[in-house]
Amino acid sequence: MTITGEVGAWNARGNSAPAVVARGLTKVYGQGDAAVHALRGVDITFATGAFTAIMGPSGSGKSTLMHCLAGLDTVTGGQVHIGDVELTGLGDKQLTLLRRERIGFIFQAFNLLPTLTAEQNIRLPLEISGRQADQVLFDRVVETVGLRDRLAHKPTELSGGQQQRVAVARALISKPQVIFADEPTGNLDSRSGAEVLSFLRTSVRELGQTIVMVTHDPVAAAYADRVVFLRDGLLVNELVQPTPQSVLDTLMKLEA
Amino acid sequence: MLKTTLAGLRAHKLRLLLTSLAITLGVGFIAGTFVLTDTIETGFSRKFSAAADKIDVVVLPGETSDEPAVPADLLEKIREVEGVADVQGVVRGSAPLIGKDGKAVGDYPTAAVSILKGRLNRTEITSGTAPEKPAEAVLDANTAKTRGFAVGDTVTVLDSEGAKHEFTLVGLFDVGLDQELAYYGAVGFTAETAAKMTGQKGFREIDVAAAEGVPAETLRGSVSAAVGSGVEVKTGKRYAEDLAKANGADTKVLTLGLLLFGFVAMFVAALVIYNTFNILVAQRTREMALLRCIGATRKQVFGSVVLESAVVGLVSSVLGLLTGLGLGAGALAVISRTGLEVPTEGVALAPRTVAVGMVLGIVVTVVAALLPARAATRVAPIAALRSQVEENTFRAGVLRLVFAGLFLAAGAGVTAFAVSTGPGESELFMAMAGGAVTFLGVLILGPVMVKPLSAVAGWVPRRLFGVPGRLAVDNSRRNPKRSATTTVALTVGVALMTLISVLTSTMRATYGAKLDEQFPVDYMVQVQGDEGSFPRALAEDLRTRPELASVVALRRTDAKAGAKGNEFEVGTFTPAAGFSPKATTGSFGDLKPGTVAVGDEAAKALGVKVGDALPVTTTKDGEVRLTVVALFSEADALIPEVTVPHGDFDRYFGALDDGAIFANVKDGVAEENARKAVEAAAQPYPTAMVISSTELRGEFDEALDMMLMIITGLLGLAVLISLLGIANTLSLSVHERTRESALLRALGLTRPQLRRMLSVEALVLGVIGALVGVALGVVFGWAATSTMTTGVIFQLPAGQVLAFVALSGLAGVLAAVLPARRAARASIVDSLAAG
Ligand SMILES: Nc1ncnc2c1ncn2[C@@H]1O[C@H](COP(=O)(O)OP(=O)(O)OP(=O)(O)O)[C@@H](O)[C@H]1O
Ligand SMILES: [Mg+2]
Repeated sequence: MTITGEVGAWNARGNSAPAVVARGLTKVYGQGDAAVHALRGVDITFATGAFTAIMGPSGSGKSTLMHCLAGLDTVTGGQVHIGDVELTGLGDKQLTLLRRERIGFIFQAFNLLPTLTAEQNIRLPLEISGRQADQVLFDRVVETVGLRDRLAHKPTELSGGQQQRVAVARALISKPQVIFADEPTGNLDSRSGAEVLSFLRTSVRELGQTIVMVTHDPVAAAYADRVVFLRDGLLVNELVQPTPQSVLDTLMKLEA
Repeated sequence: MLKTTLAGLRAHKLRLLLTSLAITLGVGFIAGTFVLTDTIETGFSRKFSAAADKIDVVVLPGETSDEPAVPADLLEKIREVEGVADVQGVVRGSAPLIGKDGKAVGDYPTAAVSILKGRLNRTEITSGTAPEKPAEAVLDANTAKTRGFAVGDTVTVLDSEGAKHEFTLVGLFDVGLDQELAYYGAVGFTAETAAKMTGQKGFREIDVAAAEGVPAETLRGSVSAAVGSGVEVKTGKRYAEDLAKANGADTKVLTLGLLLFGFVAMFVAALVIYNTFNILVAQRTREMALLRCIGATRKQVFGSVVLESAVVGLVSSVLGLLTGLGLGAGALAVISRTGLEVPTEGVALAPRTVAVGMVLGIVVTVVAALLPARAATRVAPIAALRSQVEENTFRAGVLRLVFAGLFLAAGAGVTAFAVSTGPGESELFMAMAGGAVTFLGVLILGPVMVKPLSAVAGWVPRRLFGVPGRLAVDNSRRNPKRSATTTVALTVGVALMTLISVLTSTMRATYGAKLDEQFPVDYMVQVQGDEGSFPRALAEDLRTRPELASVVALRRTDAKAGAKGNEFEVGTFTPAAGFSPKATTGSFGDLKPGTVAVGDEAAKALGVKVGDALPVTTTKDGEVRLTVVALFSEADALIPEVTVPHGDFDRYFGALDDGAIFANVKDGVAEENARKAVEAAAQPYPTAMVISSTELRGEFDEALDMMLMIITGLLGLAVLISLLGIANTLSLSVHERTRESALLRALGLTRPQLRRMLSVEALVLGVIGALVGVALGVVFGWAATSTMTTGVIFQLPAGQVLAFVALSGLAGVLAAVLPARRAARASIVDSLAAG
């Protein structure tokens, strides 16, 4: 992570190298008769500075794919690259350090530590890795997600939407190479969801952030630059510049 | 409902076991106490009755008789009684055995006993034969071993006049369970020799064997008629029963003492159980709400928690009883290793032990779970539908503060009153009662104190361990009630340990200062057992030694003094430079011929003060009237309670031998040279024991250390149980925070960091518990010492106290090892999915 200081430099990271690449990714849970093939050979590339949505029916392997890409889970076969680092073969310690340095997370629920205030939660990843928060970036992110007057609150004192916005701010603040979001708006009403999604899109447009998001919602998917579709552990389709309608149509076709 | 509960228990076998362990240890200790003392008791009574089987009738000194001996002439009288097959008297007294170094062995003279012959003999000869001739003796096996004597050797024994006699050692014997003989060591002779050596006129007892076909009871009647009043006549069976009863009273003290520690452990276990069930109920709020949703009544929910506790209680009590059996047997093995004579056979759980263990285990567990069970009934069905886990926010209620304030004020008040009233037994109890009440106040106030205390305890870890450290300190106070109960369990043990260590170190300091004051001499030469005297030549010899600066001889005798004519110890000391007893009133400078100095206690008994006249009956000078010129503290001075000038003493009582000698070493003389000089002078007098002040202090220190060690060891159990509590709380908290840990791991916390986080949390909990415990222990240790005796020099064992705090923290970290490992091992993905 060489980029420090102003946001402009970070923006100029360029679209040259892909942020995340997966080759022939397979994941099998269990053994023998009980084996579940969650991923059956996925090849996918996520461009730097792009906002990608992953869609598919329940049980199609979306979360599994995300966990494998983020180094949260081990793969059965194939390779994953985050930037120039190959994940497969790394030990737990190295994976942890990699997540710490290069990856941001937004989960569907339970994103925040209940003992910490919003601000402490936002700064947590930086503190864990012993880095100083970039104050300019911090102010900008906080401003963007509109949390200025909520910084001293504990998570229980925040609404679900506000909690997710804190999670977004936390993911952005450490300037990760990629942010993985698993149904970040799954628990929110459409208005709060729309807010969170527009922050995500803003961060891609303005900060050049790379985001990979799993979602069930065609409207949410339409915020992305590109949508990929999974079924039974295989990549089956993809849409560029999606609209809610085009996503819905594709889904219908998939399920048919 | 029953099925649901049991299924829940089966699903969490490990948790059940961990929870049970606390009660298991408590019950185990109590059961172990019973097993230990029961075994000792039955062992003793078995031996007593085995010994008594040989005797049909025994004649003992009457309870009211002045002379604690059976008159010797009764022996012949009994021999004449119809139906007596054999009768022999048992002689017992003391006869110092001379060791190979030429000095009497041990601190006290060896006991001397007569070895009976034939059927009446109860002494077991382990090698060689019993003494048959006047010049033969036997020795107890233990003394023979430690002093290096073997059968065939010649041993020298002093008679009651101090004259040396030589005997051939013909055998060794086992003292059995006779504690007196075991303690002093024993040499056995024929009856006549024993009487001669000890100078005893009567018998300790007379044993009678009945002729064929004469019932013991009949014989008892006829013997009783023959000996008349003044002595007690019992059948052998009855005698054994009485001995067993007396011994039972001794073991009862041991039982009560040990049980005290057992109850402390049980109390701590109850706290642990209470906390565990509280957490379990909190964690199962959803499950219980779901049960309520589908129609379970409050009563059923309450019942399910109580039932669970009853099962835990049952399981742990059974395990506890088994543990107790092992503990009891182990303790006996350890005790018999140390050379003490204890029975080790027939270790068993008496029905009483089983009943007490089961009832105590189950009742304590169920009662401790009642409050949590009640909390469970308060769970509203709607809670099942809430998705977000509610953080336990704690606010210090007014009621809590009021109650805590009342208890603390009452405790402090009672203790302050006791301390200000001054030393005394009732004051000591009052101070300790105050301590107990204060502890209750602390127990109530606990949750309020957790936050500030965790700030203190967490100050260093916060700065030392980075993010994991900070998160850990936050976690430690996130549920104040839970943390308070967890730590208070540790507080109990640490407070008691601190109290004991404050007591011992204060006693050490106080005794040391008193020793300096009242024993301002380097060496004391005393007769073995402090009874008797040695020729003045010894003191004369010491005075010629260049290594010594001053030598004071003490002479004393018993004489009637005062208007009532009661006996007092009257004596004198030979003056020497640097030896001047301190007077509380008057002055020793005025101790001229015709005057007397009196100790404070004696003065009280005599009713005299400085300036009064004191009549003393002398042996050479009739009754003399002496003027009291000084009073002194008997506890602090070394001189006799009625002290006259040494010239006067010789005139009043004749030139008596010296009873004790004090010697001071000249400046610059090495310790070992001085000691050699004193020992060389004492060498010709076998019973003259040389004691140095450093030795005396060392012995006292050793005894204190021993006591400290034993008590600390016994309290260690309570501490161990509270550590189980920490481990339990932590593992339940870890379980509760599965998702949180996963989130932290996803955000980049490494496994070692996660483990460290939990260790630091446990460390903080341990230190909080220890801090409170140490504070209570020091305060009430101080209160206890200042209500115990006057003139205490309070001493804070800072090193030990700091060690308690450090060890508690360390122990907390140890308790966290397993929960932390489990948390760190959990897969992130699985944990994120966990509901
Ligand atoms: N730990 C596991 N053990 C066994 N099988 C698993 C495990 N985790 C997921 N699976 C299986 O792998 C497949 C893919 O699961 P995954 O969670 O990736 O689906 P998803 O697309 O995220 O579904 P949803 O939209 O419901 O979240 C499913 O069939 C699931 O049952
Ligand atoms: Mg999923």
